Amino acid sequence: MEPIIEVKNLHKSYKKRRSKEYIQAVNDVSFVVKKGEILGLLGPNGAGKTTTIKMICGLLIPDSGSIKINGRDNRKHRLQSLEHISAVLEGNRNLYWRLTVRENLEYFAGNRGESRKEIRSRVERLLTDFNLKSKENELVNRLSRGMQQKLAIAVAMLAESEVILLDEPTLGLDIETSYEVREILKDIVEDYGRTIIISSHDMDVIQEICDRTVIINQGKVVTDDSIDNLLRLFEVRAYTVTLGEHLTRKQLELLQERFPQATYTEDVIQSSIAIDFYQSEAIYDLFDILKIENTPVETIDRDTINFEQVFMKIVNGGENKCAG
Amino acid sequence: MRWLNLFKANLRKEYIEIKRYLPNTLAMIFTFYFIFIGLFAGIQFIGDPNSADTNTQYLIVNYVFWFLGMMVIQSVGWQITNEAMRGTLEQLYMSPMGVWRILATRLTSTVILDLTLLIVLLFLTMLTTGQWLHINVVTIAPILILTIMGMMGIGFMIAGLSIIWKQVSAFLQILQFIIAALTFISIKQAPFLVYFPFVKGIDLVRQVMINGATLSDITMMDYSILIINAVVYFVLGVFIYLGCERLAMKKGLLAHY
Repeated sequence: MEPIIEVKNLHKSYKKRRSKEYIQAVNDVSFVVKKGEILGLLGPNGAGKTTTIKMICGLLIPDSGSIKINGRDNRKHRLQSLEHISAVLEGNRNLYWRLTVRENLEYFAGNRGESRKEIRSRVERLLTDFNLKSKENELVNRLSRGMQQKLAIAVAMLAESEVILLDEPTLGLDIETSYEVREILKDIVEDYGRTIIISSHDMDVIQEICDRTVIINQGKVVTDDSIDNLLRLFEVRAYTVTLGEHLTRKQLELLQERFPQATYTEDVIQSSIAIDFYQSEAIYDLFDILKIENTPVETIDRDTINFEQVFMKIVNGGENKCAG
Repeated sequence: MRWLNLFKANLRKEYIEIKRYLPNTLAMIFTFYFIFIGLFAGIQFIGDPNSADTNTQYLIVNYVFWFLGMMVIQSVGWQITNEAMRGTLEQLYMSPMGVWRILATRLTSTVILDLTLLIVLLFLTMLTTGQWLHINVVTIAPILILTIMGMMGIGFMIAGLSIIWKQVSAFLQILQFIIAALTFISIKQAPFLVYFPFVKGIDLVRQVMINGATLSDITMMDYSILIINAVVYFVLGVFIYLGCERLAMKKGLLAHY
């Protein structure tokens, strides 16, 4: 697959209010998005995701670095680059609440220079696909939050741009609507064949629909890999060791010293250690600790891990894992 | 063609909003009319009876143009502030047409719709006062277009400031008085005002509507000053707007309100 977006050595800093200090929001961020790919752009609050998305959209000028969209520099050819991109940046706030559903779709298409006649069939298809047909003449301020969110995505879809950027598409939605939006996003990829970049805190959404993730922490890319690879990598390392006896105080101290992330639990007869062997030889260290008191090992089970746990481990553990 | 589609989309949006929020539109018309009645009564009861007719004619033209100036100049500033507050400003910036073009077509749409209202109000004021002005469309139209062009330039400057500072409502209040001064003071009384935006245009409209001047009565010099003034302020306005836009994009101010 050929690349559609190439982000290279991006830097952006903001000046603090009433101060001469600068905050480095994005620090040497580079990644590539291939055509037809769904990329999850993840990171904790303040990591630099939205800043990166806004720079790709041409809404923010980077301090240095480059962004190429379809091979064109988006700083030198801002308006031409926008032909290939549409975005939902603030969810339902991206709409005109005093216009109806249909009027919003037609107005935004008009703002891209398209006539109502040109977009007629597209509007009809989107209204049907997004289950908005029955609400087409309803004012946006009378719609539910979920409906508004769907409309915001439909507006971005209407542009027929190859890339759609979605910043927190399921934020503030109830479970049912969130599920519906997730289904819509999957359909967008399957039926419309668009490239999507999603920034979200909803790891279920990311795990379900993204091919690959770029995780940003403190302005830097800490991971750039496929979800499957990351899950495989972390699944191999996460174990629960069940012991026939309780650990002694000395053993516990050594465990905490050697494996600070490990969790030790005990009940009346046995105890267990949830442990992450981030280096394969670390397993021998655990056995050395157990050998001190000849503590019997009953079972060693590999944990099933979900993407949220992977994300937390990467962000909290300062993991640096970039695919080639 | 894309320009036309852009213009049609914005004209339709402005029309829908005026129609959907008719009470607002009606309130604006009544406010305009009642303030005018107050001013007219002032001339009748306090002013010199010998010059009452001329004063009334000046009042009608100046007042109508003050109102037009306010709507055109403040419109973009208000719109930028509103769009930033609603969250739609960044969406406008995602248009490959460029925001200045969107704003220009919006302004043109606003002017068309507001002018329609103003024509009704003009006739209403003339009917109320019994002072019938010369409505020579052929002579007035080119002057009006150039005058509005200059006003739009100032509108773009205000829009640029709104993007950076957002909270410009206090400034817009003061601006009303500046616009009033530029509309009400004649060039004869202050010749330097000829370099100011839209003053020359309003002066020429006064000559047409009050003194009955025709296309041939206006000199080439007058037209040249009017054209240069309109083009300079329009181009300057767009440049200042684009400069402010670039600064906002560097500092990340587009979405912040």
